[in-house]
Amino acid sequence: METLSYPQVEETLYREVLDNGLEIIVLPKPGFQKTYATFATKYGSIDNHFSVGSESPIKVPDGIAHFLEHKMFEEPDGQDVFAKFSQQGAAANAYTSFDRTVYLFSATENIDDNLMTLIDFVQRPHFTEQNVDKEKGIIAQEINMYNDNADWRVYYGLFEALYQKHPISIDIAGTVESIYKIDKDLLYRCYNTFYHPSNMLLFVVGGVDAEHIIELVKRNQTAKDIAPQGEIQRFFEEEPGAIRQARVEKKLHVSLPKCMLGFKEPEMHKTGEELLQHEVTTKLLLDIMFGSSSPFYQSLYDQQLIFDSFGFEYNCSEQYAFSVVGGDTPDPDKLVETIRAYITETLQSGIDADRFERVKRKKIGNYLRMLNSPEAIATEFTRYRFRDCDMFNVLKYYEESTLDDVNARLKEHFDFNQLAVSIVESPAT
Amino acid sequence: MEFQVGKVKNISVHVLPTNRFKTYAITLFAGTPLEEQTVTSTALIPYVLRRGTAHFPETIQLREQLDNMYGAGFGFNIVKRGNTQFIQLRMDVINDRFVNSENSLLQGALQYMGEVLTNPLLENNGFREAYVEAEKSTLKKQLDSIINDKIHYAAERCIQEMCEHEPYRLNASGRLEDLPNIDAQSLYTRYMDWMKDAQFNLYIVGDTTLENVMDLVEQHFHMPTDATPIQYKTADSSHSVSSVKTVVDRLDVNQGKLNLGLRMNVGYADPNYVTALVYNGILGSYPHSKLFVNVREKESLAYYCSSRYDAHKGIVTIQSGIEFENYEKALRIIEQQLDDMRAGQISDMELEQTKAMLTNAMREILDNANDIAGFDFNKQYANVDRSIETVIEQIAAVSKEDVQSLANQVALDTIYFLRDRQEV
Repeated sequence: METLSYPQVEETLYREVLDNGLEIIVLPKPGFQKTYATFATKYGSIDNHFSVGSESPIKVPDGIAHFLEHKMFEEPDGQDVFAKFSQQGAAANAYTSFDRTVYLFSATENIDDNLMTLIDFVQRPHFTEQNVDKEKGIIAQEINMYNDNADWRVYYGLFEALYQKHPISIDIAGTVESIYKIDKDLLYRCYNTFYHPSNMLLFVVGGVDAEHIIELVKRNQTAKDIAPQGEIQRFFEEEPGAIRQARVEKKLHVSLPKCMLGFKEPEMHKTGEELLQHEVTTKLLLDIMFGSSSPFYQSLYDQQLIFDSFGFEYNCSEQYAFSVVGGDTPDPDKLVETIRAYITETLQSGIDADRFERVKRKKIGNYLRMLNSPEAIATEFTRYRFRDCDMFNVLKYYEESTLDDVNARLKEHFDFNQLAVSIVESPAT
Repeated sequence: MEFQVGKVKNISVHVLPTNRFKTYAITLFAGTPLEEQTVTSTALIPYVLRRGTAHFPETIQLREQLDNMYGAGFGFNIVKRGNTQFIQLRMDVINDRFVNSENSLLQGALQYMGEVLTNPLLENNGFREAYVEAEKSTLKKQLDSIINDKIHYAAERCIQEMCEHEPYRLNASGRLEDLPNIDAQSLYTRYMDWMKDAQFNLYIVGDTTLENVMDLVEQHFHMPTDATPIQYKTADSSHSVSSVKTVVDRLDVNQGKLNLGLRMNVGYADPNYVTALVYNGILGSYPHSKLFVNVREKESLAYYCSSRYDAHKGIVTIQSGIEFENYEKALRIIEQQLDDMRAGQISDMELEQTKAMLTNAMREILDNANDIAGFDFNKQYANVDRSIETVIEQIAAVSKEDVQSLANQVALDTIYFLRDRQEV
């Protein structure tokens, strides 16, 4: 068991990698009632073309990672594992994102039992033709629910506009058509590939004893005697540097149009600490430029071009990197034009030094505040870990960031050839 | 978990000293009666207060203050509890020990909140007109946008129809039609009244003491000296149902939303409160609950189908998203679950699972500073002294018969269905 201390934030992590490849991280939080555990596989909606060991590669239908997540909750005895968690007083859940699937529970009692339930149900798939078919109706309703959600539509519209080949533009849940192509054999194939312990991370945070937890998991895994597996290969068609199209519009009844701008960066092939530093600097840049204490935000607000829904984010991994800026606006074209003019101006003037210092402080504070939440720690830690980054280094990179770094990022990031706009507005009546 | 309590003018101050968190969590609850005449102007107050103060007239200056305090969180929300409309101001600032701050961040935060609440920017005997007009527009957009989220919209419409003749029909954020009649002077008048009428409860959870907080509040909150705070009145919970009301709305949607409103008539202070929690848990608030198991898992009719118990109003609501043509089938299955509850068809497992989940949720409150404050405030509001431990003990004591007898007190009041425009 490895001990990792982060005295500045008063946290200590315990880490162990088992023989079967499973990585376990425990973060004891003395005085906390609750324990929060996540069991995550590095497998999400974008992993739709892959092979393992010497197997020949396979392409699977869209939405299968999410479908698999739904089906994991059904147990061989026909029972639903939620019932078992409930009985043990644990609130359980799961979610699927672009690059990972996470199963979790939170509980104040029966921690050992709940932890074993979590690991066992995720390691015990039970797919039958019948139970797979039954799930299609439920997931179709989930997809319909998102189709009525304008925020979701504008977001996916932007991915569609930015990416030509990369599966990030595919809806995580797939489409009603694609999910009907899923059967039990495909589910097992995906399961066997991506749910191998060597592709998974268990994170436990709360009022627990690290040594005890690690011992418990070790015993559970040793008893299962899971054979090692060859390396997983993920195939992605080469993504052209250019965007697919400059503008995507969708029609849906909304009280005000929704408008998002995205800047796509060419593939960076950065991983680990380099990627983390890149992310931190870009997030600083965006907050300096578009944060609610920026003069630009205020001027957009004063012109009534934006409201409280205005926001921004930055996503990056080894294969993709893009920013998103936007929100509700009465006039999408004017908003786009105003943001373009502002970026052009900032490219010339550079970033204001005082504002840089202030926002840096703010980011440091926000990071520390996040550490209050066991849920946020588990989520963020796993997300970063799957990109070979250490979440606890985020603070260091904020502290070390300089005005020059941010100005360099400014020049790199904003290239108008890489800009796409997504709009959702009401159909003309 | 005992709050230390003090009083500064018309603010009750509640402090829970603890070093378990990396922050100070600050919440101010300010409640006035939920009424047609004042609901919109009251809701607009925090929107305008956040724009500028006497010391920091420009919004940017105020926001920079927050950045300087290591990105202190500041926000407000507007909610209703029973017959009361609440403006809640929240701040969240990190404990000084993690950073090299020249000034105490707790002091900075309370100074900020005091300034925003009690020292607003005034011009011509009113708020600054430009701020009032801009925030009217923001609130209008906010109210207009309810329709964008169909789950929320359907829930709101169901309550509106169900509580047609009660203040509870009102959205806590107000009504669109009132906005044109509000101006900088009339809003300021409302603000002055609100400062005197509202009951203010300030909660701080973090590494400090009551004494310290009292000093800071004394210094930075310039409260009126002639205040006469209202007494909270709990909602009338003896509402009988004579016939079920059915309402269908049509919009361009891909999925139908079926919402039901039920009268339970058990409020937060009611001795049956904990039984009501158990009832709701068995019926629909968990994945093991009857609604999830029967509507989703057995029949694949919905992705979500759940119930919610609103204790301050004594009602239960059910919500689900279904195919339009499954309306009758879904409704029949949901009503069957209500009947099964009345007939006492509750398995030991369902009872046991629900109790375990409720107990867990109670214990988890202690890990979240905002939840701790919220739990304590609900007790103050409903005027009932019931600790987390008491609730846990009471949960354990609830029997199937208790739940069944409560189930027979639950009456379906309103069926609301949001569906597409095509075909009649």
